[in-house]
Amino acid sequence: MREKKWFPVVYMFLATAFFSSVVIGFTRLTRNRVAANEALALERAVVHVWPQTRAKAANAAMVHQLFVEQATLPDEATGGAYTLRRHQGGTVAAYALPIAGQGFWAPIKGVIGIAADRKTITGIAFYEQNETPGLGAEIAQVPFCRQFEGKVMAPGQTPIRIRRPTVHLSENEVHAVTGATQTCTRLERIICQALQQWQEQMAYRVHKKDNEQVP
Amino acid sequence: MQAESKNIIMQGLWHSNPVFRQVLGICSTLAVTNLVLNTTVMCLALLFTLSLSALTVSILRRLTPRNIRMMVETLIIAFYVIIVDVVLKAYWPDMSRSLGPYVGLIITNCIVMGRCEAYANANPPGRAFLDGLFNALGYSFVLLIIATFREVMGMGTFMGMALPYFSGPHWDKWIIMVMPPGAFFMLAIVTWVFRSIGLPKE
Repeated sequence: MREKKWFPVVYMFLATAFFSSVVIGFTRLTRNRVAANEALALERAVVHVWPQTRAKAANAAMVHQLFVEQATLPDEATGGAYTLRRHQGGTVAAYALPIAGQGFWAPIKGVIGIAADRKTITGIAFYEQNETPGLGAEIAQVPFCRQFEGKVMAPGQTPIRIRRPTVHLSENEVHAVTGATQTCTRLERIICQALQQWQEQMAYRVHKKDNEQVP
Repeated sequence: MQAESKNIIMQGLWHSNPVFRQVLGICSTLAVTNLVLNTTVMCLALLFTLSLSALTVSILRRLTPRNIRMMVETLIIAFYVIIVDVVLKAYWPDMSRSLGPYVGLIITNCIVMGRCEAYANANPPGRAFLDGLFNALGYSFVLLIIATFREVMGMGTFMGMALPYFSGPHWDKWIIMVMPPGAFFMLAIVTWVFRSIGLPKE
């Protein structure tokens, strides 16, 4: 039978059908778990940039609970940022703005926390990056991220600057990671673009609201 | 049978070691060896894929037509690699993100296709499985040696834990070790040392 001309075609078809079916079945079995993991990574980043929720997020279940109970999904009024409300439907206590862009090796995705004054940074967290371990990947570690807490955005095109590790810092600057110049340069660009765009959107909404109130 | 098994084991681990003898699987050797934990997971993934692919190819060897055997082998290898990838995504998402595309790239790893084509295709399942297993172990121990040196000297840690001397102020971290050139240097040194050890026996 192996010598028949049709045999390789039928054999390949059957082998592909069998292995594909097993893979499809296995993927379907784990689909919900994979989707939950991806959602949880973003939720963890959002919860970690707000000081009000950061300390309570001890494990995955707590992170999810805090996110569901306290975070409001982004809309046009918040310029695409998640918001933390003082109480159900109340005023905004903090924003969590998603940021994304190309890093040195792969895309960097994260969230930057902004206080209700729309100027003070409350924290930064990354949920996707593939920079060099030990160098660029240090941007996702606590020592680097903690530098952003309390920084105040400067007006203009560079709200936040990432400077060389030795220089003296002003209120909108943080130190770069030693040996990760390319990652830090790209990260500064990603942060500044996102913040600038968000500030413009928020300013436009305030301006529009003021005009509507004028009789 | 015992002598044959011993020969398969020694070939995979030393005499025909895929990394320092045949210089195969170099892409992942250079890419994932800057952290021991990542390297360990990569080695386990390759061990699972290589041993089971060799076993499956061997089981199907009398049925698979010769002219399409490489397509079938690729299909089998891809099947096991996707299983590993899905398991990591579902149960260890941080590691899956950390390894990035390299788990998927096991499909193109020359060692897997090489062992399926050179050995599993012409030998019974038991021996093919053993050959796959010990070639994967031969690959793993070399990678783990490279990763240990790179992580300890470059970052002062081992498996993410700070080491007393290397993470202290007396050790100036060798940043080049965690960069791609560090992998080339280490691979060259390991190949040189292991080939030197093997020379008198040849």
